[in-house]
Amino acid sequence: MSVSEPQSSTTDDAAARPAERPHPLTPLIRGWVVLLAILIGIGKEFLPNGSDRDFRLPPIELIIGGIALITLAAGLIGFISWRFTHFVTDDHELRIDTGMLFRQSQRIAYDKVQGVDVVQPLAARMFGLAEVSIDIGSGARPKVRFLTLARAHGMRDYLLARAHGVRPAEVITHAETGSLLTGLSGHDQVLVTVPTRTLIVAALTTHELLTAIVGLVIAAAAAAWVGHPWIGLGIAVPAASAIFGLVSSRVLKQFHYTLSRRSSGLRITRGLTTLSSHSLPPRRVQAVQVSQSLLWRRLGLYRVDLEVIGFSISDEQDSDKVSSIMLPAGSLDQVRTCLDAIWPGSGWEQLTDRQVPSRARWLHPLSGPFLRWGHDGRFMVTRHGWLVRRWQVVPLARAQSLSVHQGPISRRLGLADLRIQTGGHQVMVNAEGLDTVELATELPELCRLQRQRVASDPTIGPDPVGVGDPAQAGPEVVRADQAVETISDSE
Amino acid sequence: MSELFTVTADWQRLPSNAAKAKRLGALAINLPLAVAAAVGAGLLANWGWPMWLVAAAGVAWTTWRVVRAGRWARSFAYLEREQDLLITSGLWNKQFSAVPYGRMLSVEVQSGPIARLWGLASVEIVTASMASNATIPAVTTEVAAGLRDRLIASGEAQALPL
Repeated sequence: MSVSEPQSSTTDDAAARPAERPHPLTPLIRGWVVLLAILIGIGKEFLPNGSDRDFRLPPIELIIGGIALITLAAGLIGFISWRFTHFVTDDHELRIDTGMLFRQSQRIAYDKVQGVDVVQPLAARMFGLAEVSIDIGSGARPKVRFLTLARAHGMRDYLLARAHGVRPAEVITHAETGSLLTGLSGHDQVLVTVPTRTLIVAALTTHELLTAIVGLVIAAAAAAWVGHPWIGLGIAVPAASAIFGLVSSRVLKQFHYTLSRRSSGLRITRGLTTLSSHSLPPRRVQAVQVSQSLLWRRLGLYRVDLEVIGFSISDEQDSDKVSSIMLPAGSLDQVRTCLDAIWPGSGWEQLTDRQVPSRARWLHPLSGPFLRWGHDGRFMVTRHGWLVRRWQVVPLARAQSLSVHQGPISRRLGLADLRIQTGGHQVMVNAEGLDTVELATELPELCRLQRQRVASDPTIGPDPVGVGDPAQAGPEVVRADQAVETISDSE
Repeated sequence: MSELFTVTADWQRLPSNAAKAKRLGALAINLPLAVAAAVGAGLLANWGWPMWLVAAAGVAWTTWRVVRAGRWARSFAYLEREQDLLITSGLWNKQFSAVPYGRMLSVEVQSGPIARLWGLASVEIVTASMASNATIPAVTTEVAAGLRDRLIASGEAQALPL
């Protein structure tokens, strides 16, 4: 091959930390998906179905030979791509070099790392391997796949520690594997776990499932009225599969949900087949929504959703899609723990101290008594909803803009709605049915508060642990601290 | 009662041409839509009375929008303050929004063919939120250029982190 070896460009740094390759089993795991797809495709094509009675399978040698050929080719491609993949963690950046014909070199400066996820798809999990996916704030996530689980955890800890401004020599990586089921190890302080029973109960009683079932019943009734069973079947099959998909994703994807804290930050671990572990940078949380559907009121369950810039951007690989669900289902105490973990001492429950005038019930007859809002200069909290009750918490310093809306009926009643726009598009913070006079006196203050700098804001997470005394730690720590500041500035 | 949306003397209004542009714009969008809807209804209903019903509704809606355009344009006002831009608009559904310059990602100035007839342009402030609606629909191009430059300058000076 005429192209030079990738190490040649990295001579000086490579001396300190040699270029590593992913685990040798990588091509096998990546090829596994291809093989599975082929088998399914062939199965669909060649399985005798009722319509072609005199259909014959091609000779068995041909099939096996074809599969072997394709597998061999896929394996070869996988081997070559593995052979030419290297990664180096040097003093300033992580570098990932890939490709034989088309060389690609990704360089990720440590201070640009926002979060690191360790994901274990089923096939990789069977061999004890994992993929490291790095969140740099953009849609495309650089990935290293696959490593042994211990190495993946070590790399994650190293990257996160460096992102927090710890000098390379001081980084202690917790290289042990942790529990097979949860991926947790002794260094994690577990904050919240959700038992499987709660997950299943919550998935069966969520309002999304109820609306799907109501829709299904209506469709069935319509089909019965039209009187053609095939129409009913055509609706029922996709609807049933959608319902099954919803329940299974709520249970399987959130299986063994654990929120934990360790020196490098908050982490959410979950999943039955695909175990994913992603870090949650509180600095990037724009807003939080706590919701409770109708049946959950009796069960005392709540769900917490996050608005994080850059989350829920999906790639061709599903493992990239980070769920916006922070807590799939949990008690009020767990909700408090979650919110305290992101925003310590926010006191969000006490903030909903302002009632809306009773005339708001003309416009919101069912949710009227529930409507509340309030703010303490740092956070604004609103409460609304009838079938699904929602609490929305937004740090005013994270607001992008605010707006006031008033329709013709609201004007008659002297009411208006206040909305806060935050980055992203999951949570729309909305305070309904406010008194116009009260809002008008409050508005200049709110306009001032939303212009605050985030620096005076509590959403900056726990202090980077491990830095120690900045005076002792030398100049590089100071630089790295400033680097953290520049991240939030340049985002 | 509605001091929320009160507009004092220091607020900027849209130029008088804005109403004309808005009227023509309403005509240019609504009439083809009304004709298409009427033809569609005619095809469905075999050119019977529903077609005339739809056509009448289309004409009524277009007339309403053309008549209201002047009042709508007069209801719009904006105020450049030291650190944020205030916008108030709407007749039935009133809206007030406040966008800090520090949150601004970019400023978009657009001038479509109808707006160009009267030398108008729209100025939009883009923030990280998709729901932020901070658009000044029609100002003269000189005002738009001045506004854009001032907004960008104050945005750079006061930039706030996300």
